[in-house]
Amino acid sequence: MKVLRLPKERLDLFASVLQQFGEVHAPVEQNGKYAFRALSRWSDARLDYPRTILPPKKYFVPPKDTLFQYKEGLGYVPADLAADRRIILFGLHSCDIYGLNILDQVFSGKYDDPYYQARRKNVAIIGVDCIPDEHCFCHSMRADFVDKGFDLFFQDLGDRYLVMVGTALGDDMVLATGSLFEPVTPEDLAEYKQRSSAKRKAFKLHVEIRDLPEIFELEYDSSLWKQVGDRCLSCGACSMVCPTCYCFDVADDVDLGARSGSRSRTWDSCLFSTHAMVAGGENFREGRASRVKFRYYHKQRGFVAEYGRPSCVGCGRCISACPVNIDISQVISQLRGIENATA
Amino acid sequence: MAKPTLGVFGLTGCAGDQLVILNCEDELLELTELVDIKDFLMASSGNDTSCQLDVALVDGAVLSQRDEDMLKRIRERSRLLVALGTCAVWGGVASLDRNQDRTRLLEDVYGEMGKKYDSLPARALHEVVNVDLSITGCPIEKDQLISAVASLLQGDPPLYPKYPVCTECRMREYNCLLIERGEICCGPLTVAGCQARCPGLNVPCVGCRGPADDANVESAMNMFGEKGIPREEIAAKLRTFAPAWGVNV
Ligand code: SF4
Ligand code: SF4
Ligand code: SF4
Ligand code: SF4
Repeated sequence: MKVLRLPKERLDLFASVLQQFGEVHAPVEQNGKYAFRALSRWSDARLDYPRTILPPKKYFVPPKDTLFQYKEGLGYVPADLAADRRIILFGLHSCDIYGLNILDQVFSGKYDDPYYQARRKNVAIIGVDCIPDEHCFCHSMRADFVDKGFDLFFQDLGDRYLVMVGTALGDDMVLATGSLFEPVTPEDLAEYKQRSSAKRKAFKLHVEIRDLPEIFELEYDSSLWKQVGDRCLSCGACSMVCPTCYCFDVADDVDLGARSGSRSRTWDSCLFSTHAMVAGGENFREGRASRVKFRYYHKQRGFVAEYGRPSCVGCGRCISACPVNIDISQVISQLRGIENATA
Repeated sequence: MAKPTLGVFGLTGCAGDQLVILNCEDELLELTELVDIKDFLMASSGNDTSCQLDVALVDGAVLSQRDEDMLKRIRERSRLLVALGTCAVWGGVASLDRNQDRTRLLEDVYGEMGKKYDSLPARALHEVVNVDLSITGCPIEKDQLISAVASLLQGDPPLYPKYPVCTECRMREYNCLLIERGEICCGPLTVAGCQARCPGLNVPCVGCRGPADDANVESAMNMFGEKGIPREEIAAKLRTFAPAWGVNV
């Protein structure tokens, strides 16, 4: 991997060069929280943000995605994916890049999803490193460092960045700037190593994932699930904000007179009372407790069996978005019989 | 094939849901091409008040003997009866104090004369007759109305979300007023469909659409309690639109 350095005062220049590669999107402040948005000016970008309300999955699997339309006389009109504009997504944290790598396994693995893949090709990813806050546990989920899934990755070294070049596109971006980037120095590497180990020590939240699928298996009937289910409001917030919750519901919208209409998929959640309902009204997960339990089992056990690792990346969004403070790290600790795992 | 016949009726309420129909300006012409609107007092003075109807849309709640008789008559005339708006679906604002002594309430408001008025504790339509479809909202959402008509013309019921407002609020990436500002937002208990209109305007949800499926009222009350908000305050807020939340204080 090619590694370079960029003095921070040159970042603005780099950002202006970036525009020739697509529309630049980055986290912007929104009433004290952050959201990825198209930038009207580079100075709106906040690269030192804790986490965005929605993860970058919204760019690849939008909350409501029209798959095709149908019109009298025209028949089926497929979604024009090629026309999607090119976007440079600047400022993803490692956990979110990891989240996308996990979505890749789902949407570009055994079953190719053309909608997802077209967007994945149209969106460039530039990562930045971050300081964990009280809800971050990506370190425990092995998602605090990514070695793929980005075109460029910026590591903050104080007055400069250490820049990792992940793809040919990333290299093109670097080359397009002429001599803005410089070769790394031994001091840069020393600084990087020092900061990287300091970051590892900065995590306040820890979750032990070794043998977790087995613990889940053994604790299937734990009374904890009823306690959590009694508290859960089935509000769906945790699923919406999760970078790796990818369930969707497909439905048709028929226009008046049925001469035209569209089919779209909308974000869904296993927390909803209707998620496991089938024709005839039978519901496989009617009780709230069984639904909450399912979300945990899918992330921490089912996904491991299927893809070799939990789908949770430890971004902490579900913790900060839950109105009744259901905290995944605490649920796991309680299941393990450790009362307080917060170091 | 003859066009399906439609009637639109209002019981006691603000008639806002009927107004939403009239406000569908872009669709009204097409609507009249597809259905034969036979009886719609708010829109026309020349109505057929006795014909059989394929679909009756009824807004407002049952608040008087007159309402009750009218509703039963509509039920007899119609193949499908659709409750339109929070009052028709849940009871609405008028059901706020429906468990209190009616005679005393009438006297409080109208004095001596109150005793003579035809006034019953508010009931939702389904508490009086069979209801085939409910379109909630205060007022109803235009897109849910159009999709109901479009689907019913195909012989299908429309698909509406049953999950809470929070889901739409998060999909739209709004700030959470409850978590971030400690406001009493009824979004976790209220059924979605409005695209989280109020939180999108920085105003907490007051629950105008009525309960979401499987709303966990008890847990929400505890959560608000932990924030120092008295149960009575939450209960009063929820009662404003629907007794069906079943809040215990
Ligand atoms: S489960 Fe929670 S912490 Fe894990 S990836 Fe999803 S939102 Fe983040
Ligand atoms: S955010 Fe909390 S209350 Fe809402 S569905 Fe998730 S666990 Fe339940
Ligand atoms: S603002 Fe209200 S509706 Fe939106 S997420 Fe928060 S509690 Fe739910
Ligand atoms: S956010 Fe709540 S109060 Fe506002 S329109 Fe929607 S349901 Fe009604």
